[in-house]
Amino acid sequence: MGAAMAAAPYPLVGKEAPDFALHALVGNNVRLSENLGDVVVVTFWGSRCGPCATQLDALNRSLATYQSVGLRVFAVSVDDDQGRALEYAKGQSVNFPLLLDPSKSVSRLYQVDNLPMTVLIDRGGVVRHVHRDYSGKDEALYLKELRALLNE
Amino acid sequence: MPCDSSFYRRLRVKLSALAIVAFAACTGVLAGAPSAYAQAPAHADARLAQATAPAATTSAAPDGAQASPAPNDASAATSAPSDAGAQASEGGAAPDAAAPGDAAADTRGLDEEIQNLKKDVVDLNKDLFVLEEELLFPANTQVAIFVSMDVGDFFALDNVTLKIDQKEVANYLYTPREAEALLKGGVHRLYLGNLKVGEHELVAFFTGKGPNERDYRRGATLKFEKGIGAKYLELKINDRQRKQQPEFEIKDWE
Repeated sequence: MGAAMAAAPYPLVGKEAPDFALHALVGNNVRLSENLGDVVVVTFWGSRCGPCATQLDALNRSLATYQSVGLRVFAVSVDDDQGRALEYAKGQSVNFPLLLDPSKSVSRLYQVDNLPMTVLIDRGGVVRHVHRDYSGKDEALYLKELRALLNE
Repeated sequence: MPCDSSFYRRLRVKLSALAIVAFAACTGVLAGAPSAYAQAPAHADARLAQATAPAATTSAAPDGAQASPAPNDASAATSAPSDAGAQASEGGAAPDAAAPGDAAADTRGLDEEIQNLKKDVVDLNKDLFVLEEELLFPANTQVAIFVSMDVGDFFALDNVTLKIDQKEVANYLYTPREAEALLKGGVHRLYLGNLKVGEHELVAFFTGKGPNERDYRRGATLKFEKGIGAKYLELKINDRQRKQQPEFEIKDWE
């Protein structure tokens, strides 16, 4: 299953990232197109997803390092139960917006098929990398790709 | 509104002109076309012309020499072209030396052509945008709904949902940056669509933060008559100082 997903090419790579506007669980509403010119990480998470918390922590560390040079991170919840998502969000001490997608419209736009799924978008608003899983060793890979995008 | 035959004629002329310029840029079939493919033979012709030009002057020189006592006219006459040819072949380095200057001039010409082409594309895009709006939303059926905001001390806008005749036609989430733009005097076109002539009902729901950071949701309703011609409505959010509350109204632009 995982190998099949890894082999399947992600159709949005190389294409313009679909725009969206979402409510934030904590903080202000977010519209993706307002962040054109920055490197954006959009990660999709769920409260029942084990590796999601580890990944959110890793992204928070990356954000702390690279926010000043134009890194933005948005984490989109795919939970049906917003109360549960809110509880989960309260347990996270992250410095980026945790967004709600109750209608799953954004998840469908980005064709989310696994959690956590992470999309790296360059300064021109083009999807450059996608990761459909997360393990501890992926943090180094994320950093490598992010540095390359930030240097462009 | 340029919705007449002259507009379409102008658009057609522009389209055909743009197509010709683009085609010329690609193929270089037109004289002076800014294409590397076109310039290569042009340079070759220029070199040929420069190579033959000295031949003409050198052939004239022996003619002039004929007036002066020439030792052997026949040989001069016969040798002139060969000499000219030799000089031309020797002088082949001169046009090569002049080539960088030509290249710079060509580059400048190319830049101008590209700028003109870009301008044509922008103009064409503008015309097509107007044409698209005219076709999709004809003036007779067009309805446009705008959102504006004044002061905003008692209300922080988050979301507007719009219903026309019980049907949701727009739902827009405002970011802080967009809300700030509204407070600075910006007007947002929330909806553009078509409605038939007759009576219609517009309902707008405003969601946001009210006084004391409380969640706030209010609605505003307007029954309006859609006649022949475009209809413009404005959803206005104002502060009512006396009540210390926000006020929502729908204004019909007559």
